[in-house]
Amino acid sequence: MNRRKFLHLSAAAFLATPALLRRAQAQEGPFRVKYFPVAPGSGSRDTAAAPDGTIWYCGQRNGTLGRLDPRDGSFKQIDLGKGAAPHGVIIGPDGAPWITEGGQNAIARVDPSDHKVRLFRLPESEAYANLNTAVFDKNGIYWFTGQSGIYGRLDPKSGDMTVFKSPRGRGTYGMTVTPKGDVWYASLAGNHIAKIDTATGNATVVEPPTPNQGARRVWSDSKGRIWVSEWNSGNVSVHDPAENSWKAWKLPGTGPRTYAVYVDEKDKVWLTDFGANAIVRFDPATEKFDSFPSDMSGANVRQLAGKPGEVWGGESGTNRLVRIQTVA
Amino acid sequence: MKFLACVVLLLIPVSAAAEDGAKLFAPCRACHSLDAADQGLPGPNLSGLIGRKVGGDAAFDYSPVLRKANGEGQRWDAEKLDRFLADPAEMFPGLWMSIRGVEDAADRAALVRFLSDPASR
Repeated sequence: MNRRKFLHLSAAAFLATPALLRRAQAQEGPFRVKYFPVAPGSGSRDTAAAPDGTIWYCGQRNGTLGRLDPRDGSFKQIDLGKGAAPHGVIIGPDGAPWITEGGQNAIARVDPSDHKVRLFRLPESEAYANLNTAVFDKNGIYWFTGQSGIYGRLDPKSGDMTVFKSPRGRGTYGMTVTPKGDVWYASLAGNHIAKIDTATGNATVVEPPTPNQGARRVWSDSKGRIWVSEWNSGNVSVHDPAENSWKAWKLPGTGPRTYAVYVDEKDKVWLTDFGANAIVRFDPATEKFDSFPSDMSGANVRQLAGKPGEVWGGESGTNRLVRIQTVA
Repeated sequence: MKFLACVVLLLIPVSAAAEDGAKLFAPCRACHSLDAADQGLPGPNLSGLIGRKVGGDAAFDYSPVLRKANGEGQRWDAEKLDRFLADPAEMFPGLWMSIRGVEDAADRAALVRFLSDPASR
């Protein structure tokens, strides 16, 4: 390669690198940010990393489950049915994606090999659950939330489903499972988090110290501490059930709106801030934030998930997925 | 288009529309209320929506795109609400609210009537 050609390629590479990547590399890390465009109008939101390296994502706006192959950027869409509006997706013990499919008021399982869709419909008495988020507990039971004010359990083997009324009504939103197997949820409208007794199905409310904080999502760290994204207050907070303690930090910026939370394998806390149109990383050890603003406006990343070394989110407002790799 | 939306509204029997509207609004109640006294929810209060400016609940912190629409003086009427419900993100890209649009025109008309007319509830 001659010098002129090399400079041209270098400049092109630099210009193609999003500004936020260059900024992020100057901070702790370094980090690599990459965007993956998917179908226009899909409203790509919650994601889950499949064992084979592909990324499943919910196309809430067009009723599909998408499957992105990050190796070449290709993607497929699976139609989940008439009126489908998938909200959340997780990988089950069977390696398949399981979806809180609000449009059909059902839990959906998609076979990863033939993409066949199986629905587990909620009972008629809970016809408008507004299904939201789910986790699998250590016994392979699928627990889910419905924002109308319910949570429930589904035994994937028998198909038996039980739905419980949330103790304080509407708002039941994010959900997490701790390493010990405890299941917690957050109530956005109810401004609390709650622990579910997986044996009885009863939920015990725990009040965060910030009033009207809008606890939207929760994620457990390796020690079973529950990290909370507080939509109204713009805080990230953490509850330690063992010590019955709380701590909270305001996200940077003038008007943070904390939407999603995810804790990675090194117990670093990843958040999304709609006020700053950014993904934010919080290091509990140093209490410092790193910010990764999107290179497009109105990105609206509504959930974060990942696998070792990678955090994934769906930019529902731009129909892209975003990956942040921690290099060091 | 506005005329057509009005015709669709008028053609739906009031009782059926009210029942359908109430059902269709059920999932929305997770974030919205039609009771003016019900404040502090994740979504803006929807009482008195028709005729109000877009982004017009003074107590609510709206997404930038709705703040912009408010600044432009946009207002809700039945036709605009119908188009919004068909695909909210199409009308207001970057909207913080996330739902799939209501594709069925009759469902949208029932929902618009339910939201527009307190007597229909």
